[in-house]
Amino acid sequence: MNSKHRVVSIILRAALLACAWTAAAAQTGPADAAAAPAAPPAATDAAPAAAAPDDFKTLDQEVQGLKKDVIDLNKDLFVLEEELLFPANTQVALYVSMDVGTFFALDSVTIRIDNKEVKNYLYTAREADALLKGGVQQIYLGNLKVGKHELVAFFTGKGPVERAYKRGATIVFDKGVGAKYLELKITDRLAKHQPEFTIKDWE
Amino acid sequence: MQSVINRLRPLILGGLLLALAPAAQPKNVKPDPNGLPPQDVKDLHYGDVLFYFYQDDYFDSITRLLAARQLGRIPHTEGEAELLLGGLYLSLGEHVEAGRIFEELLNKNTSEAVRNKAWFYLGKVWYQRGYLEEAERALTQVSDKIDPRISAERYMLLAQLMMREQRYDDAIAALSKWHGAADWTAYAQFNLGVALVRKDRLADAMPYLDRVGRIETRSEELLSLKDKANLALGFALLQAQRAAEAKPILQRVRLEGPYSSKALLGVGWADAGMGEFKRALVPWLTLRKRSLLDSAVQESFLTVPYAFNQLSATGQAAEYYSSAIDSFDAELKRIDDSIEKIRNGDLLDRLLNDDKKDTLTWYWQLSTLPDAPESRYLYALLASNEFQEGLKNYRELNYMSRNLDNWRDNVAAYDDMLDTRQEAYKRRVPKADAVMAATDLDGLTRQRVDFESRINAIEKSSDVAALGTPEEQQMWMRLKRIEDYLVTHPDDPDLAEMREKHRLMKGVMYWRLSGSFKARLWNERRSVKELEAELKETQKRAVLVKQARAGMPTNTGAYAGRVAAVRDRMDQLQQRLADVSAQQNRFLQALAIRELEGQKLRISTYQIQARYELAAIYDRASSDKPKAPQP
Repeated sequence: MNSKHRVVSIILRAALLACAWTAAAAQTGPADAAAAPAAPPAATDAAPAAAAPDDFKTLDQEVQGLKKDVIDLNKDLFVLEEELLFPANTQVALYVSMDVGTFFALDSVTIRIDNKEVKNYLYTAREADALLKGGVQQIYLGNLKVGKHELVAFFTGKGPVERAYKRGATIVFDKGVGAKYLELKITDRLAKHQPEFTIKDWE
Repeated sequence: MQSVINRLRPLILGGLLLALAPAAQPKNVKPDPNGLPPQDVKDLHYGDVLFYFYQDDYFDSITRLLAARQLGRIPHTEGEAELLLGGLYLSLGEHVEAGRIFEELLNKNTSEAVRNKAWFYLGKVWYQRGYLEEAERALTQVSDKIDPRISAERYMLLAQLMMREQRYDDAIAALSKWHGAADWTAYAQFNLGVALVRKDRLADAMPYLDRVGRIETRSEELLSLKDKANLALGFALLQAQRAAEAKPILQRVRLEGPYSSKALLGVGWADAGMGEFKRALVPWLTLRKRSLLDSAVQESFLTVPYAFNQLSATGQAAEYYSSAIDSFDAELKRIDDSIEKIRNGDLLDRLLNDDKKDTLTWYWQLSTLPDAPESRYLYALLASNEFQEGLKNYRELNYMSRNLDNWRDNVAAYDDMLDTRQEAYKRRVPKADAVMAATDLDGLTRQRVDFESRINAIEKSSDVAALGTPEEQQMWMRLKRIEDYLVTHPDDPDLAEMREKHRLMKGVMYWRLSGSFKARLWNERRSVKELEAELKETQKRAVLVKQARAGMPTNTGAYAGRVAAVRDRMDQLQQRLADVSAQQNRFLQALAIRELEGQKLRISTYQIQARYELAAIYDRASSDKPKAPQP
């Protein structure tokens, strides 16, 4: 092989490299631009086929099935735990919801049942944001005997014009033989430009 | 790269949330000036699911959703919940299950907007995972009535999918009809140009690539695309032996950008192609000082001595070839060491060492590599979907294994709890039996019935005295006795005054008793009712106690059975997780080693070439020497 011939072979290889590169650089758009390969240089010959795409798919499908089984087991464990620790005939679940939140930014909630503090919860910004988006937090799950009980909830946070704000809400409720759900609602009372705190008894 | 990945995350997340938002719960929109009425939560448990969903905690969210669905706690939000479930499966990389749910759900009365977004994200995940056929099916389900940016990305994904399958004509046809958002046009033109080059239609490709290569922008992403377009066009022209046209285009690539090395290599080749070897040395010598990891730099180790050779500077050429051989030797040794380390080591665990382990999200990507010798070779791998998706699988398997470990402690506590309950049951049973034995509920019921009959009789006979106070009844009895005496002495004149007094006192007493009779009767009836209610409650509790007494051993046994069953499932799944995790580890190791072997192969080829050229120089040098005089 003379020198010129070899140069041509180098140029050709470079051109092949460019072609391989252009194919690799096909974009899906701005978001994927970053993820586009920084031109994995084409090897002159085929690389060892240690991990073919089919291997990926086979393995991926196995992983899919396995993850689904773990998710199902997790659900069964969750249900078992609740039924075991909080049977329906004694179960009391308290939820916090927040509607709009223009006049109140939630910092914490304290809950007393029958004059005994059962929960004092401080909210992270992420959690408060999740409430604002429409999430409802199960703040307390416990057991109570059948009969009448008193619930008092204190809400602290920032009220209108960024003032420290603390308000309470109370309810006397009847715990029957079925599970009892109570919703601590924070809503905006638009007419008064004030937040409102109520407790709803879900029959 | 990291910054762009960080930027990518909210984009994708935002997209998924947007896709699900209409289904999730379109509440809590900021109020308009007139105010919005507060919206009530329809199902508390669905709100609970959303609470975790909005915090990107998809694993907790899906667990709660599946549990709520099983326990029938989301009757008012069933449809929304099903769509959210599909989205959550997708977020956890469960694209098969997500696809099944979407296909089932989206054929029903789902709004076109939701349907489009669901198909789009499903198609995108399938594309990333290499399920090209499924991806194309999903993406073609998306109609054009969709956000222009999503529509643009959808067409781009389809085109890229066709290019991955080497269906360049299809890609060209799809991209030629492109009418998308302005900022996506450059990408469409670039892809179209690439597809045309691949079909050997350089003349057709040139206007598209040239246009992208000249765009005026400050956006780093578009600048990067501009460099790519110039590089692609420059090399395509070089390949077509049009070096003079290629050079100015390659010179448009930024010197400080990620593609500058390849551009420098190309500019050198353009000069060489025009016979300007001295000029070619300028970019090539610059390139030669850069990191040998770059393939363009590796090639410059050959092109520099080649140019010297062409300039008849044989000595320098030999020197550079010799130096290239040494450098390639050292690099091959480093790659061999790295392959060995990857083969024996815990590459994946080190890759994931700094990872935040407590969340699972579909947009997760590894963005940095640990500071290790082998890392320098693996950056190209980071950009590949196959490696990233495989790594994501490995990470998710680890997460799930940790999750099951956490449950293991709880499950052990359940056993203790059930034992304690059993003990407490044994202690309480004798007491409960004693109370039950001492309580004659039937007798009490009979007494209540008798009491009610007596009240009825009193009412019927208007026996006002029967409901009097004990004193009144005593008084009434005395009056009765006096009356009896008076009856037995009807003609005794001495009793006339007493008779009159008795008549008066009886009249007063009767007046008093009959005045309060109705109220007393009402009170008695109320007592009877209360008694009846209390008796019913007691009977109910007695039934509950009997049921509990009889059912407790069964209940405890059923729970113990369930606990044992989940423990078995946990053990089996942990074993499967370990096996599949190991397989995934081997797969990714093989990918990493394949990458390194590829680099090794390329350098080896360069090295052989360098050795050959050096030998040729020596050969020529020896043949050029004056021959020794013949004896």
